[in-house]
Amino acid sequence: MFNKLWKGVVIATAATLAGTVSPALAEYPEKPVTMVIPLGAGGSHDLNARVITSTIPSFLNQAMIVRLTPGAGGQKGTQEVAKANSDGYTLLFSHNYIDMLQQHVENLPYNPMEDFVPVARINYAPIAVVVRADSPYQSFDDLITAAKEKPGEVRMAHSGNWGALFVPAAQIMKARDAYFNMVPYQGGGPAMQALLSGDADLTMGFPSTLSSLLASGDVRVLATAGAERIYPDVPTFGEVGVEGDVGFMHRVVLAPAGTPPEVLEKLEASFASLLEDKTYNRMMSRLGENVDYMSGADYQKMREEQAKAYKDLVASITQ
Amino acid sequence: MIEQFTQGFEMAFRLDTIVFICLGLFGGMLVGALPGFTTLMAMAILLPISFFLDPLVGIPFLLGIYKGGMFGGSVPAILVSMPGTGAAVATTLDGYQLTKKGQSRKALDTALVSSAFGDTFSDIFTLVMIFPIALLVMQFGPPEIFAVLLLSLVIIAVTTGGNVLKSLIMMLLGIWLSFIGTDPLGGVERFTFGLFDLKSGIPLLPMLIGVFAIPEIVNVVMRSTQGQALAAVVGDRLKWSEFKRIFRTLCRSCVIGTSIGIIPGLGQVVAAMMGYTAAKNASKTPEKFGKGEIEGVAAAESANNAVNGPTLVPLLTLGIPGDNVTAILLGAFVAQGLRPGPQLFEEQGATVFAILIAMVIANLLFLVIGYLSVPFFARLVTLKNSVLVPIVIMFAFAGAFVFRSDSIDLLMLVAFGAFGLIARAARFDVMPMVMGFILGPPMEYAFGQTVAMAQNAPLAFLLTERQGMLFLLVAIPVIAFVLWRRMKKLATG
Repeated sequence: MFNKLWKGVVIATAATLAGTVSPALAEYPEKPVTMVIPLGAGGSHDLNARVITSTIPSFLNQAMIVRLTPGAGGQKGTQEVAKANSDGYTLLFSHNYIDMLQQHVENLPYNPMEDFVPVARINYAPIAVVVRADSPYQSFDDLITAAKEKPGEVRMAHSGNWGALFVPAAQIMKARDAYFNMVPYQGGGPAMQALLSGDADLTMGFPSTLSSLLASGDVRVLATAGAERIYPDVPTFGEVGVEGDVGFMHRVVLAPAGTPPEVLEKLEASFASLLEDKTYNRMMSRLGENVDYMSGADYQKMREEQAKAYKDLVASITQ
Repeated sequence: MIEQFTQGFEMAFRLDTIVFICLGLFGGMLVGALPGFTTLMAMAILLPISFFLDPLVGIPFLLGIYKGGMFGGSVPAILVSMPGTGAAVATTLDGYQLTKKGQSRKALDTALVSSAFGDTFSDIFTLVMIFPIALLVMQFGPPEIFAVLLLSLVIIAVTTGGNVLKSLIMMLLGIWLSFIGTDPLGGVERFTFGLFDLKSGIPLLPMLIGVFAIPEIVNVVMRSTQGQALAAVVGDRLKWSEFKRIFRTLCRSCVIGTSIGIIPGLGQVVAAMMGYTAAKNASKTPEKFGKGEIEGVAAAESANNAVNGPTLVPLLTLGIPGDNVTAILLGAFVAQGLRPGPQLFEEQGATVFAILIAMVIANLLFLVIGYLSVPFFARLVTLKNSVLVPIVIMFAFAGAFVFRSDSIDLLMLVAFGAFGLIARAARFDVMPMVMGFILGPPMEYAFGQTVAMAQNAPLAFLLTERQGMLFLLVAIPVIAFVLWRRMKKLATG
């Protein structure tokens, strides 16, 4: 473990200090690669990226540097990468809602489909519908019935408009024709706190953040995203009538469009190799994240479907 | 419980823990002293190192960075009137004046002692009261946060400087400036004139450095003669008799800071301002505040550090990070296989107590490291102006730039610098503007949340769910009026 770490540190330090390492080899990567995160410090993307950048140098033979560029709901960092040289030295670590949903809500200073190519899907997180343990809603259908009977009485705490908690809720409202009163909070943590304090009746959370509250019996999960059950006695979205690619946050690495194919190949290979790295796997499992790698080409197909699905969703919610 | 506590005590006293706390403190202090480099960034970058360390080494290491960084931020605030964070703003008021009077060493010592005192107070309080605090945190939702922020802004407006009308104008200007960008609730663009550069709003650092540091730099350049320095001497260290004089202020600020820390999401900026205002109000010589009074530095620094203990409570008891710093700590915990939350105390109680005790140890080590490094920092201001001013200008521009790495921020720095000069000439205090700018957005957000919770019927909502809030609605104007009368009397009498 320490050897791996030290290898990474040595490569990172040497590369950073020397600026350009081994100019004789004109092979990518000649210098450290920057990975821009369009989100703030300390979030799940930040934590995931810290694991990636401390393990990937041994496959990439270069350091990878995280640059946090939060602002304008992720658009600031995304635009920065859209404008960057397409030489493989500037990558974007984003998620599907920033990537494919925002274009339907706002005028973006870039075109996500034309300006970016996916390099790899690192992992994904399925969302869960959560209520307090003392909540009157014993099942997902109880919740929907209440939301239909008294529209707006059921308060749902989310982490910001069109964010990772808002979109699944919107998809549920659309699929089941119910209405929640959506109250924003500054992140998933404060939203969960609002649920526990009684200010909200409902929120969403990723299993990685729920485990301790479930174990202590403070909250109850009513449904989870995905085809397979995460908790044996909790139904999936499909089982409760919410179909489709609903409630997944895909963490994805994108490169500016026009990045040379051989550079993309090298990057893809490096990200794919992470799966073989013991430290990477252990760190990710400790963070409660899966390591479900998907190649850029496969994820591109998914993006195209997302673009269409989100367009319909936004149209149905905002009309 | 007691058993876990004593066990934790034994676990925390380890050589490697102490060495890493020292490393963290020292590194945090250096990073914090560079304007623009936030403690948060330092923690995020060094987080992976903690993955590979023992939990009782890695987590205290990160806490060391945090504590060191908090003090580091007060160094440029005191020496060159350059606050790197909102929390250090109140420190500049008297700290920089002390430097100009040739007492930079005393000012830094006061900041150090007050920071360590505030930290220790709140850590011990948290250690003892962790479960009651956890219950109390739950009582504060968006309506309560809105009320506390409104009250803070009103207090700042009526107690800063002389003219209340001028203060209010500046505060409203600050709040308006905070509106520029994307509306945090609805995502609508406001006052951006269609410019993408304004879409993510005006960043804090160019404003802070612009209105506080640039006018001072210009002032020094205009007045200094060949070979002159900002301060000829660094002065004495803090004396025991002076510590005894500020002791009451320290205690008051600790109570204020810890109370504010219990309220989620308010933090250090409010605490520092409220601690400062309370000290000024309680002082027999309030006219000395803002002209180089060590009590002012002590009040601000102890209050903003006293926030730290209680902010950890939701993280430790519920596993919920309330801000970005605690989110990084959460990452460090889970990477160690410790998942903060209700059962953490049952399963790993000794470890948690050991971490809390390590925080107290960090405060003591911090006093030692700080005491040794203060003379080096203090000596900076005795450099000739021809050397110091270019360095300060470089740090001003670098600090404004590095936060977002966006060249538009340099233009903003210059614009705010010019604004600061004009405001000074017109005798408008920039402090209410900065506070309006910093506290306006969370207040607006809490207001929007309250309206959303209330389904656009706030009064009915307050009557059914938050009866206590109605009392506050009456109390705020009364408090404002009483303070205003008092300040007026002090000004004339």
